[in-house]
Amino acid sequence: MTHVSRLASLQRREFLKHASALSIAGTAAPWALQLAAINEAAAATAAGDYKALVCLFLYGGNDYGNTLVPYDAASHAAYATIRQTLATPRDQLAATALTPSVALPDGRQMALAPTLSGIKPVFDAGRLAVMLNIGTLMQPTTLAQYKAQSVPLPPKLFSHNDQQSLWQSSKPEGAISGWGGRLGDRFLSGNGNATFTCINVSGNAVFMSGGQAVQYQMSSSGAVAINGVTRSLFGSQACSEALRTLVTGERSHWMESELNRVTARSISAQSTISTALSNVTLATPFETGSLAAQLNMVAKLIAARSSLGAARQVFFVSLGGFDLHDVLVDQHPKLLQQVGNAMASFDTALTELGVNNNVTTFTASDFGRTLSSNGDGSDHGWGSHHLVMGGAVKGGRFYGQLPSVSVNGPDDVGQGRLLPTTAVDQLAATLALWMGVSVSDLPSVLPGIGNFSQQDLGFMTA
Amino acid sequence: MLTTETPGALALDLDEDRSPQGADTAADAGGVQLHAGALTAAAAAAALLAACGGGSDTDAGTPNTVPQSAKPATDVEAARFLGQAGFSASDSDITALKSGGYGRWLDQQFGMARSTSHTDWLIAKGYGAESYKYSLSGMDATLWRKLISSPDQLRQRVVLALSEIFVVSMNGLPVAWPQFATAGYVDMLEARCFGSFRDLLEGVTLSPAMGVYLAMRGNRKEDPKTGRQPDENYAREVMQLFTIGLNQLNADGSAKTSNGKPVDTYTLDQITALARVFTGWDFDTTNANGTDFSYMNRPMVHTAARFSTGAKQVLDVTIPESADGPTAMKTALDTLAAHPNVGPFIGRQLIQRLVASNPSAGYVQRVAAVFDDNGKGERGDLRAVIRAILLDNEARTAATAPSGGKLREPVQRLVQWMRTVGVTSPGDLWAIGDCSNPASRLGQSPLRSGSVFNFFRPGYVPPNSQLGANNVTAPEFQLCNESTVAGYLNFMQTLVNSGIGDLKPDYTADLALAADAASLVQRQATLLGGVSEATLATITTAVGSIAATTDAGKLNRVKAGWLLLLASPDYQIQK
Repeated sequence: MTHVSRLASLQRREFLKHASALSIAGTAAPWALQLAAINEAAAATAAGDYKALVCLFLYGGNDYGNTLVPYDAASHAAYATIRQTLATPRDQLAATALTPSVALPDGRQMALAPTLSGIKPVFDAGRLAVMLNIGTLMQPTTLAQYKAQSVPLPPKLFSHNDQQSLWQSSKPEGAISGWGGRLGDRFLSGNGNATFTCINVSGNAVFMSGGQAVQYQMSSSGAVAINGVTRSLFGSQACSEALRTLVTGERSHWMESELNRVTARSISAQSTISTALSNVTLATPFETGSLAAQLNMVAKLIAARSSLGAARQVFFVSLGGFDLHDVLVDQHPKLLQQVGNAMASFDTALTELGVNNNVTTFTASDFGRTLSSNGDGSDHGWGSHHLVMGGAVKGGRFYGQLPSVSVNGPDDVGQGRLLPTTAVDQLAATLALWMGVSVSDLPSVLPGIGNFSQQDLGFMTA
Repeated sequence: MLTTETPGALALDLDEDRSPQGADTAADAGGVQLHAGALTAAAAAAALLAACGGGSDTDAGTPNTVPQSAKPATDVEAARFLGQAGFSASDSDITALKSGGYGRWLDQQFGMARSTSHTDWLIAKGYGAESYKYSLSGMDATLWRKLISSPDQLRQRVVLALSEIFVVSMNGLPVAWPQFATAGYVDMLEARCFGSFRDLLEGVTLSPAMGVYLAMRGNRKEDPKTGRQPDENYAREVMQLFTIGLNQLNADGSAKTSNGKPVDTYTLDQITALARVFTGWDFDTTNANGTDFSYMNRPMVHTAARFSTGAKQVLDVTIPESADGPTAMKTALDTLAAHPNVGPFIGRQLIQRLVASNPSAGYVQRVAAVFDDNGKGERGDLRAVIRAILLDNEARTAATAPSGGKLREPVQRLVQWMRTVGVTSPGDLWAIGDCSNPASRLGQSPLRSGSVFNFFRPGYVPPNSQLGANNVTAPEFQLCNESTVAGYLNFMQTLVNSGIGDLKPDYTADLALAADAASLVQRQATLLGGVSEATLATITTAVGSIAATTDAGKLNRVKAGWLLLLASPDYQIQK
C-alpha cells in the first residue's frame, strides 16, 4: 500500500464519487464500508493501474497424483507401485518434466501431466508456479494432531459441496460470502461500476459474493438482452413497458424482491457489457470447449476494463468432471488438456493485451484425491497441488513442501490423502496482498488468517 | 464418474438457439387502447384469494392438517393446490377438485395407471437400434412427453422431485445405452415413488444408471497385493444425499449440536467401512456392450468373488463376515432407512420441492412423524408422506410471510405453461431437447444436473439479499442469475409466440375471451394459481392496450397475457 499516505484527501472524493455505484451492489449500506477499504480502492484508482485475479475451479476434486507426477526414478517407482493401473508411465513424462529454478529437495523431480504440455513453456518462462500440497486448514496441523483431533479441523472433510465451499469461503455449504467477493468489497468504491467488480462466467459460486460485492453472472458468449424489454412485446410498446415494470419493480416479498433485483441488474449491466465488448479486438485464438470459451470471455472483459470502469476485478471460471472415481485414466488427461491449453491461450492473450503482469490466475478444487487406486479411479482426499500463473508470479519453481510418495506416509491421513502443509488462507492472503489489501486488513477478507504465522508465501512480486 | 460440476453452471457449450428469436412476427399488431373493465376484473380476482375452506367435514384431520374431504373454496385455491401437487390446472381439474375435494383427487392420482414407460417409448421410436448405442437420442423427448402430457401429474411431479434428490444425470453415463439407463432409472422412480422409502432406496441403489453414475457398478473388493481399495463414492453419497445427511437431526429437521457445533452423522472410517459392502455388483448381463440393452431395466446383480472379505460395518452396525453380498446390502439399506434422520432429511426436501423453500420446524416435524409411522405402524410410506405434505395447513394456506413459498424451478414453469395451454405433439415427437443452456433456454433440463448435488442445494442461501440477511434458504435461486433470467424470458417468449417443433399451444379458450382483456387475463392468472391485484391490473391494462378488432390483435393479447404472467414475480414465486 505505497500510495495510501498521499491519498488522504482523495479518500473522501473517491468515496462520494462511487457511492452511487455502490448502492447497486446490495442491501448493506455503503456507509458500512471501512475507511481502509476506501484507502485501498482509492489507491487502485489513483495509481491508474489495474489488477485482476482469476479463480479457475476444477469441480469434483482434482487428482493431484496424475497432475504433478513424481519423475525421478525412485519416486516414480514408488508412485507406480501405489497407483498401479492409474500410473502414467515414466517415459511419457520426459517432455513435461520440470526444471525449477530452485531445485526440489533430495534430488526429487516432478513432471506435469503429459496433456498439460501447453503450460510447460509458461513455467519455463517464469510465469507459472506450483503450490505443493495445499488445502483447507483452520490452523497449521500435524498428522498427530489430526489423528487426535486435538486442533480444530475443517468441517465436513472429503465432502464435495462442503469442501468446495470451504475453499471458496472458509465455511461449509450455506456460506454467503467468499474471499473473492470479500476481496471485491475492498475495491468496490474504486471501480466506476461496482457491478463489474466480481464477474462469474461459469455459473454460481460463493467465492464471488462479498459483504457488499455481488457476483455478476454472465455466459461465456456474452450478456443476454431480454427481447421483450428491448423491443416491443407482441407488437405492443405498452406490454414491453409492463414487462419491464413487472420484472424490475420493488417488491416486499423477499423472493420476489430478489428475483427482480437480479433481473434489474441483468438489464442494466447487459447494455454496458455488450457495448464495451463490441469495441474489443483480441487476436489470440482459443480452442473450442467450455473452459476455453470462459477464459476467452474473461480476456475480452479485461480488454474492455476501461469501458467497464474497472481497476480491480475478480473473475471466476470453472471446469467440471474431475470426480473420477472411475475411468480416470481415460478422462483425466482430457480434462487436463482443456485446462492446460486454455490457460496457455489465456497467458498469450494477456500478453497480447499488455496486461500479463496485471492478471494472476490460480487453480482450485474441492480437494485432492487418494494416491491409492480403487481399481480404475481414486477417491476423495484433501490436500492437492495447484498452479498460479501470471507475469507477477515468481514462477518457474515450486512453493511449499513436497509430500512423500507413499501410503501411510508422514502427510497421509489414509490411502494417500494428503494432510495439507499449506493453507488455502495463506494462498489467498498472498494474492490479496498483491491486489493491494493491507496486512492489517487481511482478516476482513480472511477471518482465519491470524492462525497462520506466514501470511505471504512469497510467490508474487510486489 | 463425470458427476461433479458446479450447481447451476453456466459453462455450457452454446450450440443451440443462438439466434435471438424475436416474437415480433406478422401476427403481431400494434395498438394502444385501454380496455374498459380491466380494473374491475382485478378487484374481482383479488376476492378469489380467500382463505382455505372445507371445515365442516366429519373426517377432521389433526389441527395442523386439513381434512381429506376439504375442498378448495375458489378456483384460485384449487389452482394453487394443483400447482403444488402437480404441474397445472385445467378448468376440468378445478371443477373436479372443488366438487370432490383434495383427498379424493389424491386417491385418484395415487391410483392412476402409468402411461407408456420411457423405455417402451424409446423402443417404439426405434432408439433401440444399434446406431443409438452411445446416444442420448430420444431421452429428452420422452422426459418432456411425460412431464407435459401424462395424466398422472402427481406422479410426474413427485418423480421430478425424486430425480432431484436421488440425482442421476444423463450427462454422466459413459457406457453403452446411456439413454436406456436413464429411461430405466426414471421408470423405476415411477414404479416406486408411491411405495415405501426402503424399496425406493433399494431401487436407486441397484439401478444400472446409479451404478454407473456413482461408480458402484464394477466396484471390487480390496486387493492387498496391489493396495487397491473399494470405491467409496456410493457409500459416501448414499449417506450424505440419499438418506441421513451430514448432521444428526432433530425430528423437526434442525441440527443437533454439541458445544454449539453440529454433530456429524458419520466419519471417514465409517465411509471406508461401508464402501466394502457395496462391492461385487454389476449389470445383469454377460455382454454389457452388445445389442441387448434390457439389463438397463433390471437391478444389478452380485458376484460373490468380487465381494469384500471380512466383517463390515454400516454406521455402528456390524455385518458379520458370513453375510453374503445381498444380505450385507440388505442390512446396510435397512440400517440407513431406519435412521431417525431420514424422515426430517427427506421430508424437508420433498416439502421444498412441492410447497415451500422454508418450511417451519413444525411442518417438517409433522411430515417426519408421518414418515416414521403412517398411522398403521409402517415406516417410510411415501404415499402418506406426500399426502401429509400437501394437506398440511402450511401448504393449504397461501403464504403471506416475506420468506414464504418458493421460486418455481424453470422446468416447472415451462411444463406448467405447456400443460395449461394444452400443448401436444401431434407427431409424438416432443422435440424440445436439452434446455440446459442458461443464456438461451432454462439453465435446467430434467435428468441433466451438473452433478449428484442437483441443480440446487436444499441449504442454498442467496447472498447479498434480504434472504441472505435473514438466513432464508431458497434452493431454486441457485439457478437464478443475470443470464438465466434473460434466457428464461426470451425462451418463453418464443414458445408463447410459436411453440417449438410440432408442439403448439392451443389458445382456443383464451381467444374466446380476448375481446375482454380483463376476462382473458383473469382466466390466465387463475389457471396459473393467481397473482396479486396490482400485477393483474398492470397486465390487464397492458394487454387491453392491444386493439382486439382483428384476429391478429386478439392473438397478440393472448400471447402478451401469458408472457407477462409468466414473467411476473407473483407467478414465479409459488406461494
